[in-house]
Amino acid sequence: MTLLDIFDPKAAPKPIGIDLGTTHSLVAYVEDDRPYAISDCDSVTLLPSVVAYGPNGSVTVGTLAKAQAAEHPRETIVSVKRFMGRGADDPETARLGPYAFVPAKPGEANVVRFDVAGRVVTPVEVSAEILKTLKRLAEDELRAVGGAVITVPAYFDDAQRQATKDAGRLAGLEVLRLLNEPTAAALAYGLDKKQNGTFAVYDLGGGTFDITILLLDDGVFQVKSTGGDSALGGDDMDRAIAEVIFTRLGWGAKEKEDPRVVRLVLDRARAIKHGLTESPTVEAEIVPGKSVTLTRAELDGLIAPLLDRTGVACRRALKDAELTAAGLDGVILVGGSTRVLAVRAYVKALFGKEPLADIDPDQVVALGAALQANLLAGEARDDILLLDVTPLSLGIEVGGGVVDKILPRNTTTPTGARATYTTQEDQQTGFEIHVVQGERELAADCRSLARFTLKGIPPMPAGMAKLEVTFRVDADGLLTVHAREETTGLEQTVSVKPSYGLDDEAVERMLLDALDHGESDLRARRLAENRVEAGRIIQATEKAVLADPELLAEGDREGIRAAIQALHAASQGEDPARIHLLIEELDASSKGFATRRMNRAIARAIEGRKVDDVAGGLAAEGH
Amino acid sequence: MDPFATLGLERTYRLDLRAAEKTHRELSRTLHPDRYVGSGASERREALEKAVLVNEAWRIVRDPIRRAEALFTLAGIQVGDTHEPKPATSLLMDMMEQRETLGEARGKRDGKAVEKLVLEMSARKTAIEGELAAAFDVARGDQGKLTLLVAKLGELRYYRRFLEEASAILDDLGTPS
Repeated sequence: MTLLDIFDPKAAPKPIGIDLGTTHSLVAYVEDDRPYAISDCDSVTLLPSVVAYGPNGSVTVGTLAKAQAAEHPRETIVSVKRFMGRGADDPETARLGPYAFVPAKPGEANVVRFDVAGRVVTPVEVSAEILKTLKRLAEDELRAVGGAVITVPAYFDDAQRQATKDAGRLAGLEVLRLLNEPTAAALAYGLDKKQNGTFAVYDLGGGTFDITILLLDDGVFQVKSTGGDSALGGDDMDRAIAEVIFTRLGWGAKEKEDPRVVRLVLDRARAIKHGLTESPTVEAEIVPGKSVTLTRAELDGLIAPLLDRTGVACRRALKDAELTAAGLDGVILVGGSTRVLAVRAYVKALFGKEPLADIDPDQVVALGAALQANLLAGEARDDILLLDVTPLSLGIEVGGGVVDKILPRNTTTPTGARATYTTQEDQQTGFEIHVVQGERELAADCRSLARFTLKGIPPMPAGMAKLEVTFRVDADGLLTVHAREETTGLEQTVSVKPSYGLDDEAVERMLLDALDHGESDLRARRLAENRVEAGRIIQATEKAVLADPELLAEGDREGIRAAIQALHAASQGEDPARIHLLIEELDASSKGFATRRMNRAIARAIEGRKVDDVAGGLAAEGH
Repeated sequence: MDPFATLGLERTYRLDLRAAEKTHRELSRTLHPDRYVGSGASERREALEKAVLVNEAWRIVRDPIRRAEALFTLAGIQVGDTHEPKPATSLLMDMMEQRETLGEARGKRDGKAVEKLVLEMSARKTAIEGELAAAFDVARGDQGKLTLLVAKLGELRYYRRFLEEASAILDDLGTPS
């Protein structure tokens, strides 16, 4: 890569948006303010989220992989998203499916492991294969890809989000942001229709369900509440139909243990579901000579319990937003499963209005993600802002296994909370903290996020040490924890051991394994990433200096200019560490200036004055 | 931390929440991490810290209980479980009765009865919020008068806890509310 590639705006790496779906995935980008889905050489935009592992170590993704599912059901991973961030002992692994799982060895991270053609792979690695394929598709179209927004179900918990981010990293993507799928869809709709009001986004995908209530107000997309079920979707409809097929054919435990039969029946079930959108009755041949007929009314009966589960979440989300269905200006349908007629009818009855589906429900999330990526790393527009929330309450286990909630669900991110602890025994030097996510009262009924031990507390009598633990949920919905011992001011090292998921080391190891030439490839990747970052920070700094020259202090201009030149020079070199160092130096030399800009912007926001162009122009002229 | 100052608001219980929400939104426009993706690490960190503070301030200010707590704390009056006066016996008896009725409704899976209780309790909650607002207006920084108000805060807490429980029960019953 030459330097020209980086700084020539025409060849500038383009940010992309990725919808990493249960059934399908796709990638989109923005050109002239409009989002476009990228298609493969066959003009197909939807990449089946299927990964097949061959006996010789080969990996196939997409349509070709899907074609192998019938022959090699065990080696072909379908709907991997359902396993993201889940433990090997999760009930999800016990449901009807053709896979072979490998139990975690002692000391290994508690994650799902598939046994495929003599290899063991985790859902993070499987998802990374899908992301790599999408990245290649995007590179064919755009030459260079610079940063990605990857969408996740709004109801994904911390472990599922972290797993998604890890998959992005493993695929060699710079993950700019994890964006909630319903929010992405709302962004695509809102920017398209330029509408204000309160909307519900009903997102029923292949494996996940989200309901999000949000307010669109002059470019601000403010999520009021969100709810859902991260294990509820079209797959469950397929399974319900599959059970009917098994029963009608008189098949039992023996057939259900045969992965080929299970795969076949699940595929037929899905075909029946699709067929029933067009015709009131579908007859499907399962195996030669054996057919099953299903009516639309029967399908409706099968999925009614699933829809009722979505209804409960919808009502709770409305209540959390302090709204009634009548108070909504519209309902947006997202996700392939909303094509099922019974789903549409249910949503219409639930909200009392005809839902909107005029943007392709399979594409809308990726299109929204591309818009967000473009806002983050492309042409920044300060008239648009997404304000999202935490989907689940965050708590700490206290005495008796009870949860002390420190952050309620539907808190606007980024957010934080503090909790103070004290030692219970004399000379106690360590302290264990268990962080959970969920709404239930007992920690055992919530999702365990992490356990960590605070170490190195100076020996003191019981009750003397005061530990302040700070929890932070960032704009990706990801949790970080810091701790400080108050009496000594000692910062504590917190080693968070995720309850479900891979620690940093494991991801780093996978990253090295995945690259053909390990260390040297990794260095090349870092170099490319650092160059992109350098370009971005130089651009941002230059823009700031141009915009607010009056806030430059004595010597700032010279200092910043020198730092930019040094960083520019380093970007032409081959040393990623040096680029990183000079990025930090530019950051340091512009720190005071940046703080003054931020403070002025805060003062203006509080005064309710928008920075209007006339005033800004006059100020600039005065200097 | 003074959440009122963070949002540039007057330190009062009675607030124009709509105006405060607007300020919160304008501050978010300025400080949200999405605005700093291209910035250096220290600038990103600084903006993040401030964005967290602004969101926390808004969470406190918009919530009647947290807002009252903040006003007491800023006036030098400690609040929280161990610092507040014991609730009146009449309130405790009353709440116990209400709880029993709620428990019975839950046992019978009677969503309508739960909803009726929710309506009654919401009305009481609104009333006490009004009383609190009026009393804060009168007290105006007078620590002695403010201290007398803490009991009302306790009452409000009881009502809210009840409403949260009832809401969870309604969720369980899957009843529309």
